[in-house]
Amino acid sequence: MKILVADDSRVMRQIVIRTLRQAGFDDHDIVEAEDGADALAKVSSESPDLVLSDWNMPNMSGIECLQAMRSSGSTIPFGFVTSEGSPEMREKAANAGALFLIAKPFDEDTFRDALDGVIA
Amino acid sequence: MSTAHTGGIDTGERRRSGDGRPVITDLIDEPTVQSIVEDAWVALVGEDEVLIPLAGEPIGDVVSAWVDVVGPWTGSVVLTTGRQTAAELTRALLAESSPELLEDEDVADAFGEIANVVGGNVKAALPGSSALSLPEVGEAPAVRNPEDVVRLDVLWRGQPLSISAQGALPPLPVPHPPPGGQSPHENGASL
Repeated sequence: MKILVADDSRVMRQIVIRTLRQAGFDDHDIVEAEDGADALAKVSSESPDLVLSDWNMPNMSGIECLQAMRSSGSTIPFGFVTSEGSPEMREKAANAGALFLIAKPFDEDTFRDALDGVIA
Repeated sequence: MSTAHTGGIDTGERRRSGDGRPVITDLIDEPTVQSIVEDAWVALVGEDEVLIPLAGEPIGDVVSAWVDVVGPWTGSVVLTTGRQTAAELTRALLAESSPELLEDEDVADAFGEIANVVGGNVKAALPGSSALSLPEVGEAPAVRNPEDVVRLDVLWRGQPLSISAQGALPPLPVPHPPPGGQSPHENGASL
């Protein structure tokens, strides 16, 4: 399985990848994207099986990336990993077609709860 | 919003938020901010990393990271610490991926991300709908209204660190007392 991790913070991408490993999802290919526009391009070029994306990013936000994906007919599972964990943001995420929203700060249990059933 | 409360007992709250513009102390208290920061610390910095709620000696060479919140309350959530401490924090976040020589860019990224996580959770605790900016790192925005600040001073690994939610707007002008009357409150003068 190929997982695309999009976050403008390189440090946070590393923390997300480390937490995936700690949660037991350690035998997957990881592709990194540094903003929403990069993520959207890599959705096409890399054909990931899952996108884990930050919300607030320069160039293109995570929600804009998700909306662009869905508009183009992509049904690739998409989840947010963001500091924006309010009920309002969760609703916006779900309405745009996100499967889940992991709020920062998180730990491996949060990842396991959100990703069990999504990652084979 | 109604401003019908024009007379009678001054509650203090009216003095702070009489025009419908709240200050941060109306919306969030210090224990809530402390809890947000502690959760961020455990998850990002490390499970065994403790924050001691004590103010340290002021230090000269500091760096700040902050995010802006724009909404019913508009201001910044700011973390400030010594440059060396910010570098240590970066190494803690990067853990085994920490390079031998840290670049300024790494420190800005890591310290900014802590501010982002703390700020995002402060924003989520505020009423109403707000927008959050991307993190910035450098010299902290000035405090515009000392009454519109919730500040926490802690020690991490013995080094001082402050976390504050501070309003971006200057205090409102104090209304003039009615002609021939006394000011409704003695301590209502702007600081």
